[in-house]
Amino acid sequence: MQMERVDTKRAYELIRERITTLELPPGSSINEQALAEQMEMGLVPVREALKLLAHEKLVVITPRHGLYVADVNVPDLEQISEMRLALEGLCARLAAQRATADDIVVLETLRQEQASTALEDSKRLFDLDHKFHQAVARAAHNKYLADSLERLFGLSQRLWYLALPQLGFLPSAVETHLDLVQAIEDGDPDKAERIMREHVGEFYAQVREILETAR
Amino acid sequence: MDASAQTALVLGIDTGGTYTDGVLLEYHSRRVLASHKSLTTKRDFSIGIEAVIEGIHIEDPSQIKMVSISTTLATNAIAEGKGKRVALLLIGYDRDLISTFKMEGRFATPNFHFFDGGHDLYGREKRELDLPSILGKVNEIKDRVDAIAVSSYFSPLNPEHELRAYRAISSICDLPIVLGHQLSTRLGSVERATTAALNASLLAVLQDFIIAVRRAMERRDIDAPLMVVRGDGTLMSDEFAARTPVETIHSGPAASAIGGRFLSRLDGALVLDVGGTTTDIAVIEAGQVTVSEEGATVSDFKTSVKAANLLSIALGGDSHITWGHEKNVVVGPERVAPLAYLAWKHPRVGKQLKALSLRTWAQATPDWLEYWYLLREPPESLLKGQRERDLIEFLRDGPQPVPEIIKQLNVLHVAQVGIGELLRQEIIGKAGLTSTDLMHVEGQYDVWDTEASAHAWKVFCQFQFKDPDELRQQVWTQMSEMIIHAVITFLSERPLQLGDRQRSLEGGDQDFGRWFFYNSLYKAHPYLETGIRLQRPIIGIGAPAGIFLPDVAEALQTELILPDHYEVANAVGAIAGSVMVEEELLIYPRLSHDGLEVFGYFVQAHDERTEFEELEDALAYARALSEERALGGAIRSGADNPQVTIEELTDGLDTYRIRAKAIGNPRLTK
Repeated sequence: MQMERVDTKRAYELIRERITTLELPPGSSINEQALAEQMEMGLVPVREALKLLAHEKLVVITPRHGLYVADVNVPDLEQISEMRLALEGLCARLAAQRATADDIVVLETLRQEQASTALEDSKRLFDLDHKFHQAVARAAHNKYLADSLERLFGLSQRLWYLALPQLGFLPSAVETHLDLVQAIEDGDPDKAERIMREHVGEFYAQVREILETAR
Repeated sequence: MDASAQTALVLGIDTGGTYTDGVLLEYHSRRVLASHKSLTTKRDFSIGIEAVIEGIHIEDPSQIKMVSISTTLATNAIAEGKGKRVALLLIGYDRDLISTFKMEGRFATPNFHFFDGGHDLYGREKRELDLPSILGKVNEIKDRVDAIAVSSYFSPLNPEHELRAYRAISSICDLPIVLGHQLSTRLGSVERATTAALNASLLAVLQDFIIAVRRAMERRDIDAPLMVVRGDGTLMSDEFAARTPVETIHSGPAASAIGGRFLSRLDGALVLDVGGTTTDIAVIEAGQVTVSEEGATVSDFKTSVKAANLLSIALGGDSHITWGHEKNVVVGPERVAPLAYLAWKHPRVGKQLKALSLRTWAQATPDWLEYWYLLREPPESLLKGQRERDLIEFLRDGPQPVPEIIKQLNVLHVAQVGIGELLRQEIIGKAGLTSTDLMHVEGQYDVWDTEASAHAWKVFCQFQFKDPDELRQQVWTQMSEMIIHAVITFLSERPLQLGDRQRSLEGGDQDFGRWFFYNSLYKAHPYLETGIRLQRPIIGIGAPAGIFLPDVAEALQTELILPDHYEVANAVGAIAGSVMVEEELLIYPRLSHDGLEVFGYFVQAHDERTEFEELEDALAYARALSEERALGGAIRSGADNPQVTIEELTDGLDTYRIRAKAIGNPRLTK
């Protein structure tokens, strides 16, 4: 009956953040009791939140070994990148066909903020990049597409944090975003799709290289 | 009916300014099974709440089918400026008008900004929405605020600009965003903006509170729906409350009134709730708490929140009794711990008071009756200066009277020791002479140290060469007078400035209203007898009601009813209310640009708008839609078999309101 209890929602957000930022590293086991105490919350909301995260494939629940944070590996990376390449491309295409004037204002605002943010502030840049992709998804006006992308982004986020020490932010992304906003504003679906695919592809290529050399 | 349906235990909790009260009640028979009082912990309300749950000794927590709570949290947070930081974005508001009428102070946040946009009285776009400026401003301020409130001109008629702003802002930042049209369908633009700003500032506050209550329940193995009382006494689910915290303004007094009606079963009465800090007045009419249509005012902020029509005065059982500048007795407004309580906790205080009562007149001044004491060890972050550290160090030895503190810290006056924050954080407490002490002296109340109260009272009276019995009577008379004055001004909706009683009765003061008031109370005139008769009984609530109110009822020539368990009626009221969801839709004409021709009618249902050619069709659609939405909302909010009533109101100018109210008893878990 109660889909989103206030405390479940809070627990979900806090735990998700810890997982995506690797504070709870991939493969580590999860102690519900300890988590609840750290967050000053009851056990019930923490359990509910973990179930939701298991559904998102960020947490694995096994009958024998209990709970642990889902692992990240290169085969996963391949599968996630295939999906994202296709869907982000579609998203950019639809955005070029459907974006409203308000959507363009939002994209333009995000792009400008990104351009004026210092390159060392990688966490903020990553957050802005996330918001930019979300804004393109909103401009595509297809909520199922936006939901799917959001889930995939959540899974990719951990890859980014894993690669962060070597990766840093790509200065070229700022330029790419500028071109992409222009293509969407011009209503050029082919161009928007192409730019987006290149942009996403470049990201995965970099992450792949770093993860493989780290092995 | 099976056995479990016959005994449905519910837990009601009221977190007041001084005490947190709890009752365990059997829902169907309305029988109060147990109750408990504990001190309210303002720094973290859940501590007091857990103490109450513990004090009630629930044998089988799984039998609890519902927990409901009324709270002064929102009201306090606003009064003490403890809400979160909010940026208020005003779309289409007239900047010059706001500044000409000096309304800048009414928005409940100093951080407000004007933008182009907004609609007119017929929902037509007045000016194009300036989205780039809005996003630019949000980018500039987003790291300095905790939430954003947006209010657009005439948004209840057409929320388009608020919705577009929401969509855009939520794309560029993660802050919670509150929209004016979602909180009120009223057209008053300043009140709506204030309501949105307050709601935004309270979001995190109420969420933290709900999470803390949930945790306290879980620790005590209670697994049941949690309800929160609204300012009009109805209930909403905790999820609902987390989104619309502003609706909990005045929930405490509203719960008291509902509890008074529930326990007394009277359908018409004046409810007087005498607490530790305040006395609250509300009216029960036809079995309901009367609601102020104008919207609640809190800390001088006018909102568009529907709340019980009530008056709260700073007078309660723990009001501080002191000498005023003109050697008159002053009661309140400050609340302090009674000396009887302090001496009971710290026997040394009792001995000191006894020694004080044996000293000469010149040595035993009334400032020796005010004590400061340490409530808990302060966190390092709160100790800013050396003087504060010295004070804490001094109080570690036990409570100290003010003259000793002055001497120790080497200051001339206590005001030099700024302890405001230490008081608010409940690090330091103040104790002094209160009416609770007088009740101890009279033997009407004897839970704490009666002797300490007696010694303190002796000192207080000696200093003024007054007879203790006479002066005590004078204090009671003065308190009754304050309550009667509040009742009369509240019901008559007319102000009356009190003055010197003697001057008024003897003719030195020519004001007729004052003379009428005093003459009605004290029957002084040789020929003219005046009187004020209250045509409703008074229901007394709160522990001191039995002592404070008999004189009030007598003076107002009415009956005083103290129902069973009147001391905890506020907590009873937290569970006695119904679950209610109200859905209000606006219907207004679509006009030609020159305003002369009517093309059709819009039905505006919050975010959704539908157009009809004929008014009748629009109204029929609005009736059906509002009923469906109210019903669905009430069921989601935890109402059992809600019933819907529909009202149709005319707003003038060919504009209508359809208001559907779905009301039901709370659904208890099986």
